[in-house]
Amino acid sequence: MKRVLGRTAFGIVASAALAAVVASVVAPDADEPAKSPTSMPASVKQTVNPSQALAGLLNGKDEKGNPALDSDELAYFKSLPGSAVELFNSAVADENITSSRHLAELLKVRMTPDRLDVVLTDNCFMCHTDPESQTEEDLFSMDPKAAGSPPFMSLASLTQDVHMQHGLSCAGCHGGDPSDVMDHDYPPIWPDDADARTRDRSWVPVFCGKCHADVNLVGHFNSDLPTDQLAKYELGVHGKALLKDKDNRSAECVSCHGVHGILGKNDPRSPVYAKNVPATCASCHADARKMQGYRLDDGSPLPTNQFERYRTSVHGKALLERGDTGSPACDDCHGNHATKIPPQRVCEECHAGDGKLFAGSKHKKAFADHGWAECSKCHGYHAIGKTNDEMLAVTKGALCRDCHDEYSKDNPACVATADFFHGSILYLAQGESRVKAEAEQFARQGLDVEPLEDRLGQLGDLLRQLRSQVHTFDADRFMKVGGPADKVLDQLDADAARARREYRRRRLGLYAAMVVIIVLMALLWLKLRSVE
Amino acid sequence: MARTHTRRSFLDWLLGTTVLAWLASIVYPVVRYLTPLPAPVHSGPERLTRGDLNKLDEKSFAIVPLGRKRVLVFRDKKQQLHAFSAKCTHEGCTVQFVPAQSVVWCACHNGHFDTEGRVISGPPPRPLPAYVVTKDKDGNIFVAPEKA
Amino acid sequence: MSDQARYGGVLGWLDNRYDLQPLFRFLGHKEVPIGRHSLLWYFLGGATLFFFMVQVATGALLLMYYRPGEATSYESIRYITTKVPFGWLVRSVHCWSAHLMIVSLIVHMFSVLLLKAYRRPRELTWVSGYALFVIALCFGFSGYLLPWNELAYFATSVGTDSVKSVPVVGQWLLEVLRGGPDVTINTLYRFFSFHVVILPLAIVGLISLHLLFIQRQGMAPPIGETGPSRGMRFFPNFAMRDLLLWLACLLILLVLAVFLPYGPGVPGMEWQLGLKADPLAPAYPGIKPEWYFLWVYQLLKEFPPHILGLEGPQLCLLIVSVLGLLWGLIPWLDRRARAEQESPEFSDLGFAAVFFLLFLMLKAWDIGATKGADEAANLATVARTCAWIVVVLAVAINVVRATVYRHRWFLLSGTEVLHVVLHGFAGVPYLVAAVIAGALGGFALLVGRWRTPGADGGVVRE
Repeated sequence: MKRVLGRTAFGIVASAALAAVVASVVAPDADEPAKSPTSMPASVKQTVNPSQALAGLLNGKDEKGNPALDSDELAYFKSLPGSAVELFNSAVADENITSSRHLAELLKVRMTPDRLDVVLTDNCFMCHTDPESQTEEDLFSMDPKAAGSPPFMSLASLTQDVHMQHGLSCAGCHGGDPSDVMDHDYPPIWPDDADARTRDRSWVPVFCGKCHADVNLVGHFNSDLPTDQLAKYELGVHGKALLKDKDNRSAECVSCHGVHGILGKNDPRSPVYAKNVPATCASCHADARKMQGYRLDDGSPLPTNQFERYRTSVHGKALLERGDTGSPACDDCHGNHATKIPPQRVCEECHAGDGKLFAGSKHKKAFADHGWAECSKCHGYHAIGKTNDEMLAVTKGALCRDCHDEYSKDNPACVATADFFHGSILYLAQGESRVKAEAEQFARQGLDVEPLEDRLGQLGDLLRQLRSQVHTFDADRFMKVGGPADKVLDQLDADAARARREYRRRRLGLYAAMVVIIVLMALLWLKLRSVE
Repeated sequence: MARTHTRRSFLDWLLGTTVLAWLASIVYPVVRYLTPLPAPVHSGPERLTRGDLNKLDEKSFAIVPLGRKRVLVFRDKKQQLHAFSAKCTHEGCTVQFVPAQSVVWCACHNGHFDTEGRVISGPPPRPLPAYVVTKDKDGNIFVAPEKA
Repeated sequence: MSDQARYGGVLGWLDNRYDLQPLFRFLGHKEVPIGRHSLLWYFLGGATLFFFMVQVATGALLLMYYRPGEATSYESIRYITTKVPFGWLVRSVHCWSAHLMIVSLIVHMFSVLLLKAYRRPRELTWVSGYALFVIALCFGFSGYLLPWNELAYFATSVGTDSVKSVPVVGQWLLEVLRGGPDVTINTLYRFFSFHVVILPLAIVGLISLHLLFIQRQGMAPPIGETGPSRGMRFFPNFAMRDLLLWLACLLILLVLAVFLPYGPGVPGMEWQLGLKADPLAPAYPGIKPEWYFLWVYQLLKEFPPHILGLEGPQLCLLIVSVLGLLWGLIPWLDRRARAEQESPEFSDLGFAAVFFLLFLMLKAWDIGATKGADEAANLATVARTCAWIVVVLAVAINVVRATVYRHRWFLLSGTEVLHVVLHGFAGVPYLVAAVIAGALGGFALLVGRWRTPGADGGVVRE
């Protein structure tokens, strides 16, 4: 009886426990909200549907009967928020968009909603993007070439334009009221006559300057932007040519900055981005046809090989190939708006160390007496090559030798100093490569090359400084760096000798161990023979 | 019989001696290996030598080697010690401290850094990596890499 | 216990207390069987043991200076190789001995396969040996990471990545192995524990077991050899020969350590310290795992991402596991050898395995690749070059087998050669070629059985 009772009780308790477990797993939790908190109540959620007219345009067909809008454009439209769809609705309602073709063109641009805000309410923009109502010269399109329009009528670049992005659209330069419709008789704030605009370009800097020379106006948008461009331009070569001599071939704002797709100088796509500046200048200065008739001060024709030469130079390679924007482009030496032949000291803006050394040297007065440029006399200016030690050589054809031969015939110390520089640097440089090769071999042999490599780094450093010290043109000051460098090379040779000795020691140790082992093996074998 | 016996014992003796020699050729390197070196095991903070300290007093800065690296140690206007990598982040030239302007200057391309290692002007693209510099009560100055 | 001293000196003192007589009797009777060509093979186990002992000794020495840690692993090894007297030697010997141990182990395993020493009653010796092989590979893999340099870091990343293909527990296994989802210093700490504690305990246990089996059962005589078997006494004859070989191995080790301190310079077999591991740096160009893993590495590459409803790597690992399992079961699969009969099929299986592994290894090394050529063309060139090498070697080996050793059974190795030929010369994809060659081989096997039903001596074969 007890047993049955016990078992029954156990059965009941076990079933109850099991039921509780199952229930807790299966049944939902009591305090979980009925709906997810992120689902919006119906009163808040809004959908803006395209109006019937807009829908008609979206589904419109072209003259061949194919859909005017392709799947990408439709997908883009679907991704737009309700506010943007509303803008499209009102544009269609205002008859600013009347054809599927126009709608397709606008959707091709993939503007962000904030940009759509600016342009869809701008009548100038809306009319001038309509292929049905504009002639080729007045039409903005995604492919101006295909539309037969001038290249600056690109819709893609227009929407990227920095003025457009700050809300200054067509009316900002061309005048008029963007909410106005079809009325073109607004007070002209720019020359109306297209012919006159191209015949005499001197109006351009003044026109841009109307805003860009106004501190308050520019400060309204970007308090960081300088406003001295016009003043500088008037003093520069391009400015003088255009404004004083009425030379219309001269560069003005549009030549470098573009017109409808102006991008800031920090935008890598901009023609005035550091890396693109040489190509922008070269677009005129490397073109012999465009440069025809210009002359240097001495009467010779203005060269057109600067870009080519710059490309081969250290600066050119650094900027154009490695993207080092610390390296100078044309404007860093020639000036940006006040463009002119750079002053002598321009190199010192970066190469201050060498400039200081040169300024304290005897070459300074000598060069000044001859009327030579300080840095470029030896280093060139566009095709500045990597300096090499052979410039110091005293063989005929070397830089120092040739010049000294001609101009300091009566002072043998000049050639002797150059020779001394050349010899010392060559000795150290050759020593450096020799030890470097040895260090590689030591590393392969398993030796410790860290102290050697540390010292090699020191030597490399000192060599670099020493090559700079050349600009003192004075043996004593040269040796202030040369002396320590010599010492380091001597220490390096000692290090290398020590490494070689260590390796020999290892080999000898191995041979000794080999001998012992081989003798042991031989004796063992003899023992084996004697045992068997 | 006696001959083979002496020959065998000679062989045994030779074998024994060679075995000892062999064991010695193993024991010697092991003993040398196990004997600890006097210098510290691992590169800890480096102490500035007297020469460096003199340079520091004279010119307000010194360039000290820390393993493979060069470290610029300088004292600013407030007599505070700073230490940064002496390798300019532009093209790797060794920088120097200009006490008059309280800037770190690279002579190669006229790059300037402030006393916190940040780029003030010129082509260097990145600030100078910092090192930890400490001074103990005896006046010794130590430089160590910054803990990652 | 008798008073008389059976042995003099120390031995006598011990004998008086522990009765060493049975031990010496046993040792005195221990014999090594001498067959036609086989004595040399019997030394390989000892050679492997020698290399292992070198590893223990050099490993213990290295452990005195090695410090695992983010800022100390690399630096301490640098310290050992540059500042510690003879540290360079200890490390170099440790690295060389590791590779030589595995080479010796593989050759030893191969010789056991050819001599059928795994047959009854020595099945467990084979199984314990197989386990030792796996442990040795784990030693190699775990030790490789310890210098915490670039090479080790990426090799370990690539190597551990493959475990995530294990079904169900793959991701968990990956994280347990790595101490996290990625290879970090935590991975090193785990590998260090494996390399220095867990695996040594396991291997010492297994070696003891392996040796115990051998001592208890004696070394296996060559198969089917009739007549009184000649034997060589282990002590002192075989033992002295063993010592001779060990000294020769030591010599080779030392020469290699001094003249090639960083390995032979073959990818997957080099241990220059190089740069410290930097997880943010891009992978090492030409990164390869150690040479004994190259075949799996290459095999994984031969599988398409999805095949037969599984992910490529999963199927590959499945196949490798099955092959591995079969390899371990060889003592039971080889019915002929169990019956003390010649079993040429399994000898041939060994050679087939060699050709299979060799081809994959050569291919993994990109032998025959030209720099700058486009990838697709290079793959074909590499396959062709490696195929040439393997085919020439296979022909040479099989000729030697046929003439010197009078082997007659070449079906399995022939199938693998066909596989290599199809893939390397005819450009058939690796797996497809395997299926074709396998089908042809299987067909030939069946035809052979059908035509000579009595040839297998009445023993049923799968």
